[in-house]
Amino acid sequence: MKIVDIIEKKPWVAWVLFGGTAVLVFLVGWLGASIVERRNEAALQYRLVKPIAEWEPRNEVWGENFPREFETYRSTIDTSHESKYGGSKMRDLLEEDAMNVVLFAGYAFSRDYNQARGHYYAINDIRNTLRTAVPQPATCWSCKSTDVPRLMNQMGPANFYKGSWDSLGHEVVNNIGCQDCHDPKSMNLRITRPALAEAWARQGKDITKATHQEMRSLVCAQCHVEYYFKGKVEKYLTFPWDKGFSADSMEAYYEEVGHVDFVHTLSKTPIVKAQHPDYELYRTGIHAERGVSCADCHMPYKNEGSVKFTNHKIASPLENISGSCQVCHRESEEILIKNVNDRQDKVMEVKLLAEKALVAVHIEAKAAYDAGADSTELIPALKLIRSAQWRWDWVSSANGVGFHSPLEAIRVLSTSIQRAEEARRFITQILMKHGVRKPIPFPDLSTKAKAQAFIGLDMKKLEAEKSEWKKKILPVWDAKAKERQGGMNY
Amino acid sequence: MKSIINIIQNLRSIVRPPQQWRIPVFILTGILIGLGFLTLYVGNATSYLSDDPRACMNCHVMAPQFATWERGSHARVAVCNDCHVPHDNIISKFVFKAMDGTRHSFMFTFRLEPQVIHIKQAGLNVVQENCKRCHEQLVDKVAIKNVTGENTKHGEGRLCWECHRETPHGRVNSLSSVPYARVSILSSITPEWMKKYLKE
Repeated sequence: MKIVDIIEKKPWVAWVLFGGTAVLVFLVGWLGASIVERRNEAALQYRLVKPIAEWEPRNEVWGENFPREFETYRSTIDTSHESKYGGSKMRDLLEEDAMNVVLFAGYAFSRDYNQARGHYYAINDIRNTLRTAVPQPATCWSCKSTDVPRLMNQMGPANFYKGSWDSLGHEVVNNIGCQDCHDPKSMNLRITRPALAEAWARQGKDITKATHQEMRSLVCAQCHVEYYFKGKVEKYLTFPWDKGFSADSMEAYYEEVGHVDFVHTLSKTPIVKAQHPDYELYRTGIHAERGVSCADCHMPYKNEGSVKFTNHKIASPLENISGSCQVCHRESEEILIKNVNDRQDKVMEVKLLAEKALVAVHIEAKAAYDAGADSTELIPALKLIRSAQWRWDWVSSANGVGFHSPLEAIRVLSTSIQRAEEARRFITQILMKHGVRKPIPFPDLSTKAKAQAFIGLDMKKLEAEKSEWKKKILPVWDAKAKERQGGMNY
Repeated sequence: MKSIINIIQNLRSIVRPPQQWRIPVFILTGILIGLGFLTLYVGNATSYLSDDPRACMNCHVMAPQFATWERGSHARVAVCNDCHVPHDNIISKFVFKAMDGTRHSFMFTFRLEPQVIHIKQAGLNVVQENCKRCHEQLVDKVAIKNVTGENTKHGEGRLCWECHRETPHGRVNSLSSVPYARVSILSSITPEWMKKYLKE
C-alpha cells in the first residue's frame, strides 16, 4: 500500500503528515537554536577585550580586561587605615620601638625600618628607603615588581640575581601586580618566582600540582617568606626550608650552611636576619589548619551589583571586617577587633621582653670586650646570642604581630628570651673575671634619634646622601623606563 | 500476543483460591489493602510527592533544621527541596528523593537517628550544586563556581558553607539545639469532628 494510495482514500492522512512534519521541524529547529546558544555561551564566557602579552608588566593593561580587580588593586594606594599595630599606613618601626636600632647595629635596618604599606608603593618605597643607599644585589628587586618575571625570562634567574641593584633600576618600574600571580591567557594562578618552585622541588613536591586552594596561599608565599641570598657572588634567592618550615629547622639549616647576614657592631655576633616568615608562621595557626588560605582573609570576595569578584585590595582584614572576618565569624566588629588585639598584645608583651634581654646582652658583650675579654672567650655566648636574635627576629619581622599563629609566635619568642638570658649569665662570669662587678647600665633608647646616636650613626649625613642620589638617579631611571614601555598610549 | 494471554491465564489459575476460600480471601485482601491505605494516610505518604517543608517535618527529629531554616535567611526564598534535592532533571529529582526518603524512613523507624545529623557525601554534592544554581549569576565571575562536592575532597576549593557557616541551619548542630522553637508538628490522626464526638 503506497502512501499515495492511502491519501487518495483518506485525505486527512495527508494533513496529519503535513502537521506532523511541521511540528517535527519546529522541534528540531528549536533544538538546533538551543545548541547554538549554548556554544555561544561557552565562547563568550571568557573573552579578553584586549589580549595581554606574555610578560606584560604594566598592570593598567591587565586592568583594561578586569576593571574591578584592577580598581581594587589600585586602591592599595589608600593609607588611611591604622589598626593598633598595623594597617595600611607607613609606620616608622624604629620610632615606635627604638630597641630595633640597637639590635640591628651594623646593618642597614638600624637606619631605616618601616612597616610596609600597600603593594602599589612597592617600587616607590624600595627606592626611597635608606637600606638601598648601601650597595645591594639585584636580588632585592625580586619581590617588588611585575618586571621581574619579564627580566628573568630574558636573562634567566641566575643572571638576574648576579647584577647590582642599581644596574636594574631603570628596568624594574612597575609595582607588584597582576603578572606576579596570574597567567595572562587563562588568568589561572601561577608561580612566577623560581625560589618558591625550587624550594618545593627540594622537598620533593611538584608545585604545579598544587590545588587551587593551596595556590591561593602559595602565590603569596612567593614573597611573604623567610629567604636568604645564597653565595657571595651568585646572591641566589633561596628559601631555607630544606629541613622544615619552623624557626628551629630553619636555624638548623643556617647552622649547616654557615650563613651570616651581618656582624653586630657591639657584640661582634654573626647574626642571621630573619625576613617576614608570614607563610611559615601562618601554616602553624588554626586558620591554616582549617583550610583557610591567605586570599580568604586578605582578598575576600566582594559584591558589586549582583556579581562577586575577588577584592584585590590586599590589606589588613581589620580594614574590612564585615567582608573578611564576619563571613565566618558572626561576632560584632568590636569583639573581633578585641579578639585580634588581645592576641597581638600578648605577643607584643613577650616580644618586648625578648628585645630587652637581647639589647642587654649585646651591650654587656661590648662591655666585656671593653674590659679586656677577647673574642674567643665569648664564643659560647655569641652562639646563644645568634640563636636568640634569630628567634626574636623570626617573630618580629612577621606581619601581624603574631596573629597568624599566636601560640607558635610566643613559643619561639620564649626560646629567644631563654637563650638571651643564658648568654647574659655567661657574660656576667666573663665580666667578673675581668673585674667588672657592677651591672651594666641599660642606655636611654626612648627615641629613634637617641638610639641611632648611641650606635654611632650620622643620620643627617645618610639622609642627605640619599636625597642627593634620589635627585640625580631616579629621573634617569624613569626616563629610560618611559622610553621602553611608554604610558598607556600604545 | 497469544503467549502473553496464556501466561496470564496460567498465573490466574495458580493464584485463584479454591471455591470455599473465596470469600475469606476477598475479606483478608480488603483488610490488607485498607491497612495499607491507613499506613499511607498516617505516614502522610502523599506529602512526599510535594516540595512542602512540612513533609520533612513528618519526622520530628528534623525540627532543628526546620526551625533554623524558617527563622533564617532562606525561609522566604527556598524550601527544603530547593537545596537538598537535585534539580538537574525530574528523574534524578525523584530518584534522589526516593533513596533519601527510604533511608530516612529506615533510620526513623528503627530509632537510629544520631544526636548530630551529618549530611552524607551525596547530599553534600546536591546542596553545593543548588547553592550555585540559585546564586549562579553572583559567582559567575569567580573560580568558586567550579567548586563541587567531589573536587573539594581533593582540596580544589571550599564548599560554600565552609565560609558561610550560619547558612541556613546555624552552627550548633544537634537534635536538641532548638528546645523551645515552635515548629509545625504532625497533628493527631483523629480528625477534629471525631474528637468532638468522642469527647461527648
